[in-house]
Amino acid sequence: MGALAATVLALGGALGESGRAPAAAAAAAASPAVAVDPAAATKRLVSSLQRRLRVDGQDADALTRLGFAYEQRARETGDPSYLVKAEGVLRRSLAITPNSADALIGLGSVALSRHDFRRALRLARRARAQAPYGSAALSVVGDALVELGRYGEAFRTFDLLAARKPGVAAYARVSYGRELIGHTGAAIEAMQLALAASAGRPEPTAWTSVQLGKLELARGRLDAAARRFRAALHVFPRYPYALDGLAFTEAAHGRLRSAMTLSRQAVAAAPLPQFVGTLADVYELAGDRGAMHEQYRLVGAIEGLLRASGVRTDLETAQFDVDHGLRLGDALRLARRAHRDRPTVDADDVVAWALVRTGRCDDALHFSRRALHLGTRDATKLFHRGMIERCLGHDGAAARWFRRALARNPFFSLRWARIAEEYAR
Amino acid sequence: MTRPRNRLVLGILAAAAVFAALTAPRAAQAHPLGNFTVNRFAAVELSGDRIYVHYVLDLAEIPTLQEGPRVRRPGFAREVAGRLVLTVDGRRAELEPLMRRVRSRPGAAGLKTLRFEAVYRAESAGTSLRLEDRNFGSRVGWREIVARAGRGARIEHSSVPARSASRELRSYPRDLLRSPLDVARADVRFRLGSAAGVAPGLVGAAPREHAGRFESLVAHDLTPGFVLFSLALALFWGAAHALSPGHGKAIVAGYLVGSRGTARHAVLLGGIVTATHTAGVFALGLVTLALSAFIVPEQLYPWLTLVSGLLVVGVGLAIVRTRLREVRHARAHAHGHDHHHGGHDHHDGDHEHGLRGLVGLGVSGGIIPCPTALVVLLAAISLHRVGYGLVLIVAFSIGLAASVTGIGLIAVTARRAFGRMRFDGVAVRALPAVSALVVLALGAAMTVRALPGVL
Repeated sequence: MGALAATVLALGGALGESGRAPAAAAAAAASPAVAVDPAAATKRLVSSLQRRLRVDGQDADALTRLGFAYEQRARETGDPSYLVKAEGVLRRSLAITPNSADALIGLGSVALSRHDFRRALRLARRARAQAPYGSAALSVVGDALVELGRYGEAFRTFDLLAARKPGVAAYARVSYGRELIGHTGAAIEAMQLALAASAGRPEPTAWTSVQLGKLELARGRLDAAARRFRAALHVFPRYPYALDGLAFTEAAHGRLRSAMTLSRQAVAAAPLPQFVGTLADVYELAGDRGAMHEQYRLVGAIEGLLRASGVRTDLETAQFDVDHGLRLGDALRLARRAHRDRPTVDADDVVAWALVRTGRCDDALHFSRRALHLGTRDATKLFHRGMIERCLGHDGAAARWFRRALARNPFFSLRWARIAEEYAR
Repeated sequence: MTRPRNRLVLGILAAAAVFAALTAPRAAQAHPLGNFTVNRFAAVELSGDRIYVHYVLDLAEIPTLQEGPRVRRPGFAREVAGRLVLTVDGRRAELEPLMRRVRSRPGAAGLKTLRFEAVYRAESAGTSLRLEDRNFGSRVGWREIVARAGRGARIEHSSVPARSASRELRSYPRDLLRSPLDVARADVRFRLGSAAGVAPGLVGAAPREHAGRFESLVAHDLTPGFVLFSLALALFWGAAHALSPGHGKAIVAGYLVGSRGTARHAVLLGGIVTATHTAGVFALGLVTLALSAFIVPEQLYPWLTLVSGLLVVGVGLAIVRTRLREVRHARAHAHGHDHHHGGHDHHDGDHEHGLRGLVGLGVSGGIIPCPTALVVLLAAISLHRVGYGLVLIVAFSIGLAASVTGIGLIAVTARRAFGRMRFDGVAVRALPAVSALVVLALGAAMTVRALPGVL
């Protein structure tokens, strides 16, 4: 979940703080938070830029801004065809003004959305070379570095960003860094600053609210988390990340009917493997094994599609398969491949988890140590470590890890929290 | 005599197979709008005194997996109607499903995509309507509404265009300066006509008025049994088509063979008719396909009808001219009956006339592509089932030829049986001229009917 966070935010930052949507911000600020259409401002921006470009197709500045606006639409709608369009206009802009820093940043954040982190880093560094004192490129550089597991460089980049341009983009990244090193309270403080800074813009507000909800969830506060998710849905109805979060808290409370409805809505809006995973778990808790298996098949199909479209690395699908004991041999291969392209602590953890589940606990221990080396206090990772220690016969250590995981967040997983409780005794 | 004909038919079939292979949609291609989109299209169709709604859903791979079973269920058309809110003059109007069709196509990664289409009828009165599409509201995808009128109905003001930007979800524009359409509501002020409304068909490019039984074959799901059945049906319709009124060619050909030819000539004539008819339809189909890169078939069809109408007029005129010359020739012959070498001349010319005329008649009988056959081909093209459409047309042509040959054979046999009896009463002699005029009139009618679509 954390891995996704930075990726999504990069885009929000690049557009949101470039000062390029003053009309949008003003329009949204003037109306109360319950916007009729939370995307109205972006839509207006898109159509005015399209009109301008129909008159003069060579206006590189308008092309770049349209690229950013399309990326924003992709975030608002979840519709990937906007990313294709964004890339198209940004390329055209770059062809007219080669080495335009803004166009390079835009293309870099498209690459981030496509999980092509090395390319994103290359593009953003080219942009930095063109505009060494700019700040927008720093978001993309830092996010790419995080996803490539280069945490030291990444955190330095975020600090520089925060010094140069304090704002949503900087605060949210600082928050993410603090969470990675296990300072959840401080992470929440930074994210609250980000939320305040995003006021008036529905999608960034919804996004930061969801992040706050996840941080609350990470420390086991279901109700505080649910409040944040509801707040996100208030400014951005049907925001799938918030629906999924709320489905989780409802399920953790045992309100399975409402969880099912919310989760189905999230999956309908964006069938991402992690959302499908929540739905499968809710069905499992409700005892509907037929519906659960349907969701398993759905994730299998998503994997097939990703492979067919050339995306080889998908940490989320690998994690889903391992979590649910599906195609375990393949899942281990998938996890290792994802780890190669995206050597993050999350990837370390998924590989470790896949190794335990296939009975290779010695190797797993090595990956688990790496997954926890930043000091992360993610209950899921702690639980996985417990399973490794248990597998190695270190029962005492295992029980300690399970207790730590549960103390951190007794609701860390709809599937595994019960097992942690059982083994902790 | 039969061998060359077989070779010709085989050649055409082989060409058809290659053609089909080249034009068939590439399998295993991802959905152009991303593989989790549900794309929606609604057309408000005001036809004469009626209001219809034509609704299309195009589900990419993932929604097909999630929603496929529900969409395939017969009751789904009604479910759609429940969330397709049509208000006429402020009152909610019920949408009654008239027909529906669901087809799946291969998508990426061995998965399928699904296309659902339905036609609804609404109670029809009033002057303003609003259509709101609430189906799959939370799903990402293209959403389009158009409003069009015909048969005397008029649109006075509409918030949506009359033409689909996606060709009814068949091809999505890739213009970088255009956002994916997201239209879920249409407001239309209109005036209905007094003519009887005609429900829009589901055969895509086919002109709605013509949608008949033969055309609907091409849209059916293809099981081996159904293919065999449809081939037999196409044969039968071809045969029936040749006998239907207005097709003087069958009688003319029958007469020619009956009066002067042999059984062989009859078979030859049948072969020529099949080959020419098939080739004619294929040629027109190819032209359509070539042009369809620039023009959509819906726009092309009126022109095609006009061209084939003019073609029929031309053939009609040529036949009339031939007949006139024949009559004059016959008169001259009757006057100089006593001249020896005139008689010899006559015999020679008659033989020539027999063969060349036979071929000419076969060609002219087959060259006019029957509108039905053309519609089948165009429908097949629009449904990406070109190969199947071509095979159906070959069967149709063979049926057509069988009828012509049959008439010829009957005439030949009858002549033998009745020996001295000759087919040259006044009525029979007038028949060729009359049928030529019929062809001419038919062509003129086709041309006149095509004109409003073109102008």
